[in-house]
Amino acid sequence: MSSKAIQDVVICLKDVNVVYGNLAALYEVNVDIYKGDFLGICGPNGSGKTTLLKTIMGLLKPLTGQVALFGNKVEDKIPKETKFKFGYVPQISDIDRNFPALVKDVVEMGRYAKAGIGKSLTKEDKQKALDALKLVEMDHMLERPIGHLSGGQQQRVLIAQALAAEAEVLLLDEFTSALDFKMTEEVMELLDYLNHTHGITVVTVGHNLGLLRAYCSRIICIDKIIAYDGTPKDPELDVVINQIFH
Amino acid sequence: MSVVSTFVESFKESLLLKTIATIVVLGGLITVVIVFIDNFLIRALGTALIIGVLGGVIGVFVLLKGMVFLGEAIAHSAFAGAALGILLGIDPLITIIAFGLIASMGVGYVNEKKIMKSEVIIGIVFTSFMALAILFIGLMPFYSTDVRSILFGNIFLVSIENLIILFFVAVSVLLIILGIKKELYFIAFNQEMAAIIGIPVRFLNYLFLALMAITIDISLKAVGAILVFAMIITPAAAAYQWTFKLKKMLILGSLFGVASGFLGVAFSYLWDLPSGSTIVGVATLIFIVSFAFSPKRRKSGTGHVVADCDYCSKTILGKQYCLEESCLAKGIPHKHDEKGLLIYKTDLDRKKTPTRHEHDIGGEEK
Repeated sequence: MSSKAIQDVVICLKDVNVVYGNLAALYEVNVDIYKGDFLGICGPNGSGKTTLLKTIMGLLKPLTGQVALFGNKVEDKIPKETKFKFGYVPQISDIDRNFPALVKDVVEMGRYAKAGIGKSLTKEDKQKALDALKLVEMDHMLERPIGHLSGGQQQRVLIAQALAAEAEVLLLDEFTSALDFKMTEEVMELLDYLNHTHGITVVTVGHNLGLLRAYCSRIICIDKIIAYDGTPKDPELDVVINQIFH
Repeated sequence: MSVVSTFVESFKESLLLKTIATIVVLGGLITVVIVFIDNFLIRALGTALIIGVLGGVIGVFVLLKGMVFLGEAIAHSAFAGAALGILLGIDPLITIIAFGLIASMGVGYVNEKKIMKSEVIIGIVFTSFMALAILFIGLMPFYSTDVRSILFGNIFLVSIENLIILFFVAVSVLLIILGIKKELYFIAFNQEMAAIIGIPVRFLNYLFLALMAITIDISLKAVGAILVFAMIITPAAAAYQWTFKLKKMLILGSLFGVASGFLGVAFSYLWDLPSGSTIVGVATLIFIVSFAFSPKRRKSGTGHVVADCDYCSKTILGKQYCLEESCLAKGIPHKHDEKGLLIYKTDLDRKKTPTRHEHDIGGEEK
């Protein structure tokens, strides 16, 4: 990892401490995420995985320490343009079955911020949304209500939304928990494809370690501190996993 | 010329634009009528039209964002505001809007900081404002009939000044809402995703709270503090039963709102009933009918909720018709025309006239 140049760092966490009330959620966390990484973050429940993700996205403010994005100097304020190179794909178990949105609408949401307030989407915006849907092979379901799709299909649509927004980094939160094994594998294949052919950085959080090891190029194990950071094949990973999960 | 033709083109395309234009034209007409023929019935109908449209549109977002109880709390805070206004002898609208904004912003702030569960804070705000209202009424040296009219509302007592204020406020609120509608839609779908993509979620949430408070506050006089929230939630909830498209939901919501307002006014006038209850009664009826006949809840023979064709992915509400050219219905080749007629290939071979028919989940013709 150290061989990579500093300008390739998309996310840099430096001495980050996050606290809920008087409970430490993250303690002195130092992580550099590089362009093109396929990173899996794992850890037991309550280990701070989601907290880490939210800190990266700026939804949580660290108590101390700094977060820098896309090589921007570690400062309090992150420039807006930089922030929006992220695409967030949340857990999807809570989409209302009857929510009035078609697949097409959900993907087009990815273009909303670029279009600006009070303006409707241009033909170009709509084309970009369609292209993103084609990329995740969901363009045949354009007119379906989002709530009627299977979990894996919903996940694909949400990924397409992030792609339509021209996200360079995809952040996925525990998406595997709502999907069966085959669907999970399909989504991972898709992420792998996007990572390899489109150079999209993928950061995925999950507790299915076997799956993360099979697809990710880098694994971070977290238990309030960074317990492991390296390749998935390193035998040391097994040692760490035994320690933090048992 | 080209500018005009572009405008005409976009006008033709946009149903929403047409709706707004209709509202403005109708509103303008009513204003003209009122100026010339000042009649309490026409004033009541004008009020019903404005509140119906505004409530229907705001209601859609209140429903999708899941803020129903907050709206109820704002309505009660507005009642306290009205009581204070009457007590101090100033125009109640000022105190109503002030109280409405305080309540909505306060709850919004607590929700944003996640200090406690939103239902807890709403419950506290709700009851404490009611307590204030009762206190203010108790402090009045004599019982004012204004209190009754604010609690229960009377659409026939709306004055010309009230109506003109209502019209301008409603048009401004409506224009702002339609300006930020796609952002609100995204926030309603998933707030965190919207924030990360660059939508100013925080600002828009507060703006929406303010608009919602204003809508509730200006509608107070017509339907009363107790029932005003029905004008926001019920037409929108009825519209929700019918469609998977935001645009349609907005249009249906305002149509249902206007229909309940008009019919409510008519019933109230004809049979001398309290206007608030007739308006809300009609709205509730529309909701019940919508709920009963909702395509979202209809079941097919196989027990599946019928909403779209499994093979063409086209949604035709209520019926499983496909619109796609030559899709495969589980190995049965069939074609469809733009009216949703489904023609099996065997029919084509025999040159049969296309008949409208459904197919069930297994792709079999019924």
